[in-house]
Formats: sequence, structure tokens, C-alpha cells
Amino acid sequence: MAEIKEWKDAVKTPRPAILISDGPAIPRRKDSGLFTAWRISFIGAIAMVAYLAISRPDPYWKILKFIPDGILVTFQVTIAAIVLALIIGLFTGLGRISKNKILNGIASLYVEIIRGIPLLVQLFYIYFALGRIVNLPAMASAIIAMAVCYGAYMGEIFRAGIESISSGQMEAARSLGMTSSQAMRHVILPQAIKTILPPIGNEFVALLKDSSLVSILAVSDLLRRGREFAAESFNYFETYTMVALVYLIITLLLSKLISIMEEKVGANR
Amino acid sequence: MRTDNRPIMVEMRGICKYFGQLKALDNVSLDVRDGEKLVLIGPSGSGKSTLLRSINQLERIDHGRIIIDGFDISDPETNINKVREEIGMVFQSFNVFPHKTVLDNVNLAQIVVRKRSRKEASEISRELLNKVGIIDKAEQYPDKLSGGQQQRVAIARALAMKPRIMLFDEPTSALDPEMTGEVLDVMIKLAKEGITMMVATHEMGFAREVADRVIFMDYGAIIEEGKSEHLFKNPTRDRTKLFLDQIL
Ligand SMILES: Nc1ncnc2c1ncn2[C@@H]1O[C@H](COP(=O)(O)OP(=O)(O)O)[C@@H](O)[C@H]1O
Ligand SMILES: [Mg+2]
Repeated sequence: MAEIKEWKDAVKTPRPAILISDGPAIPRRKDSGLFTAWRISFIGAIAMVAYLAISRPDPYWKILKFIPDGILVTFQVTIAAIVLALIIGLFTGLGRISKNKILNGIASLYVEIIRGIPLLVQLFYIYFALGRIVNLPAMASAIIAMAVCYGAYMGEIFRAGIESISSGQMEAARSLGMTSSQAMRHVILPQAIKTILPPIGNEFVALLKDSSLVSILAVSDLLRRGREFAAESFNYFETYTMVALVYLIITLLLSKLISIMEEKVGANR
Repeated sequence: MRTDNRPIMVEMRGICKYFGQLKALDNVSLDVRDGEKLVLIGPSGSGKSTLLRSINQLERIDHGRIIIDGFDISDPETNINKVREEIGMVFQSFNVFPHKTVLDNVNLAQIVVRKRSRKEASEISRELLNKVGIIDKAEQYPDKLSGGQQQRVAIARALAMKPRIMLFDEPTSALDPEMTGEVLDVMIKLAKEGITMMVATHEMGFAREVADRVIFMDYGAIIEEGKSEHLFKNPTRDRTKLFLDQIL
């Protein structure tokens, strides 16, 4: 699970921001060392996969043909969960800064509880709790469970991002007759997004990796497809080598994608 | 301009405001008439900002009543956003929107609050930017502008709402001396157009030229008030005298 290492402080001080992620570091252009490291690991991983598949097609090529369905599911779970988590996070963040005691209380309680329980335990809990109330497909339950967990972390990022905008901006907007939600939408959030994006990117990568946990919940993601193959062929070492390499390639690609997005928004100016 | 026979625009009665133990406003009563130019002076921490900010409810008062153009703003039934549309405010720290161009800074509230079309808003904005002398910066982002230029954007932005009252909270205090003049010139021009103005400032020249009335505040209370020529030459209270000696 992604640790929030004092996002608030990291986000509030414009620079230098200490943004240590537990995923592969987002290859930001100004860090040339990391940029090279990204290239080496990416090219290395691809070369390795290719070499294995060609030199020992049985089992490596077979494994490679068996897991794409799982990659798709991993993507689906990750993307759906992140969209949902962003929405939950936005409202949690707004709740956490709200002057309304009830809203604030609910949001704070949610964040405290979620952050105090291991992700795997939460996944089981939400999955089976949902199973009792409504009969959702395994995948939907898994997505909701991931989103609920990550929403709390997103909420803290949104809160810190919003708080990083000087109060004068809100006052100026309000003094022009805007309601607080108009001010939020047109003045505060567009500015906060630049501060919010790098930590959100890190969460995105973390969520992609943590999505492997849903393989325990009867969801046929990348890891589960690997397990299925290994269980039939008894090629445990080979299968997990391949699965690990594919995860590495995907997370590296995702972190690259995020760094391109950040540059577009000017988050690293 | 004679304003003492005009209707009352801002009526404050027995205003008290606390920050914890600190009494930032101490039983302030004040009438401001339509079209009147009021200048607030007083040492730092005397409550000038708090007084101005309580008029558009950026601060909530603890006691007393504030009636703006007939609307009692302390009444929970009053829609404060509607009242704020009629009150422009200019801050010491400009508070222009850094993610919007100069033109969009002036457009934003017109479109969002006044529901004007973008085209209609832009026309009004350009007119106002012309008036404050920065029409050539319309497409720039604020970080490319000097402090004086940013403050003039902020003035245009407030004026675009066509407010009946303009509040200025030390609009030139954060500016380098060479930029103070360009902002004061805009304010003087505005004053001549007859809008109601309340200005907290240490610019005594501006007060002399523009103020119908000068209010001296200390420790959250109004100590003395009068026409600038009287108050500056013959202050009746020792505290006023002491303050003026320091500043003039
Ligand atoms: N948000 C606040 N919290 C606590 N104290 C405040 C706050 N705003 C102002 N004050 C205090 O209220 C008093 C009046 O402040 P202010 O109205 O800003 O004075 P002025 O504008 O004349 O310098 C000061 O003592 C100031 O420290
Ligand atoms: Mg002040």
C-alpha cells in the first residue's frame, strides 16, 4: 500500500518537495539519472522477455500467450478503481476541509479507519460485506473495495493540494459573489491540480501494483492467470518470472505516461 | 462632492468582532453615504482590515448590525452572495488568479456569477482594462506582470461586477514606491465617477485629494473622524496626533 509520507508538508512547500513513492519513480525530465534508469529497466525487461520467449518457447512463450487476458483485467480493475477513487478522494478532501462538523467528521473517520487497516484485510472485508448485501460480480466488488481503500489516500492528497492554495484566492473569489463551490471549481481546484498531480501519479502506479491483490478474490487478473498456468504446468519459477517482468513493464509504462501528463499540465515547472 | 444629503449605503451599528480574547472591533458605528469617499487610517492592527472585511462578510461579526443598501447582512435570510456582487474588494496582496489570463481574470465572475456570455463579458473587461491602462496585457498571465499591474487587474476585476461600493484594503502597501502612483491614479479616476469608496491606506496625499471624510481607528475603535484638512491639521485627540506625527 502506498504510504503517505507527510503529503501535506511535501505538497505545501512548493519546492523542494519530498515525494518518495513506493512505485517506480516517475521519470521526471530534470532527474537525468532516473531518466536513464527508467530506460535501462524498460529496455532490459523487454529484452529479457523476448530472449526467454525465443530461447525457451516452452514454457515461456506459452506463458506469454496465456496471460494477456489477465493483463486486460488488471487494466480494467486499475482504471475503474482509480476513477472511482478520484471521485471518492475529491469529496473526502472537500469533507476534510469543510467547516460543517458532520461532513468533516465523516470524512476524517473514513480516512482514519481506512489508513489503519491493511489493504488485504479491507479487500476481504468489503468484498464479503458487499456479497452479503448485494450480489455483485467479483470484479465489481474488487473494484469498489480498491476504490474505497485508495479514496482515503486520494482524499488526503486533495486536502493538502487545496490547502496549498493561499486563502486570498478563495477570498477574492467569494468577494466577487461566487459561491464556495463556484470558487472551488473555477479558482481553487484548477490551481491545486498542479500540486496534486505528482502524488496522484504515484498513487496510480501503487494502485496498479496493489491490484494484484484482487487475484485472491476470484478475479482473473494478471497474477491469477499466472497462478492458473503454474498450477497446471508446475512451472512455478518460470511463470512468476514472466509475471514479474510483465508487471515491471506495465508499471514502467504507466509511470512514463504520467510524467508526460505532468509535463502537459506543467506540474513540474 | 456633497454627500451628506445622499441615502445611506452602509450602516454599521455597534459592531464588535473578537478573535479569541482579542477585540478586533470595539463597538464601531459608522454610516457611509452613497457616493461618499471614506479613508480609514490607523496603526497596524487597529482593525481597518477587519472593518472592511466585515462589510462583505469575509469576517463574521459577533455583535451589532450591518445594513448594506437596505439589506441586513447579519440576517441569515440574506443571500450574502447577492450582496457581495454589489461590493467590490481590492486586497493588499492583489489575489489575482494566476491560472487565468488577465482578460479571463476580469471575465470569470461576470460569466460565473453575472451569467454574461463570454463575448459580452470580454467587451466589458476590455473596456475596464483600457481604463486601468493594461489593455495591452490582456492575453498575458499575471506572473508576467508587475505588482502595480496586477493590482490594476484586481481593480478591473472588481469593477466588472458593476459594484455600488468599492472596498480597498491597503491597495498600495505591498507595492514598490514607483508603482504606487499608477494604482493611486486609477483610484482617483474612479473616485471622480461617484462610486462609494472605503479605503484603508497610509497614503495621506490620496486622502487629502479624494476623501470626503477620514476615520482614525485605534484598538478596534473609531477614535476620531473629520474632513481631511481638519483632521490632518487639527487632530483633537492625542492618539490621532501621535499617529499623524509618525506618518506625515
Ligand atoms: N484571522 C485572525 N485571527 C486572529 N487575529 C486576527 C485575525 N485577523 C486579524 N486579527 C487581529 O485583529 C486585530 C486587527 O487586525 P486588522 O483588522 O488586520 O488591523 P489593520 O488592518 O488595521 O492592520 C489585530 O490585532 C490582528 O492581529
Ligand atoms: Mg490591514
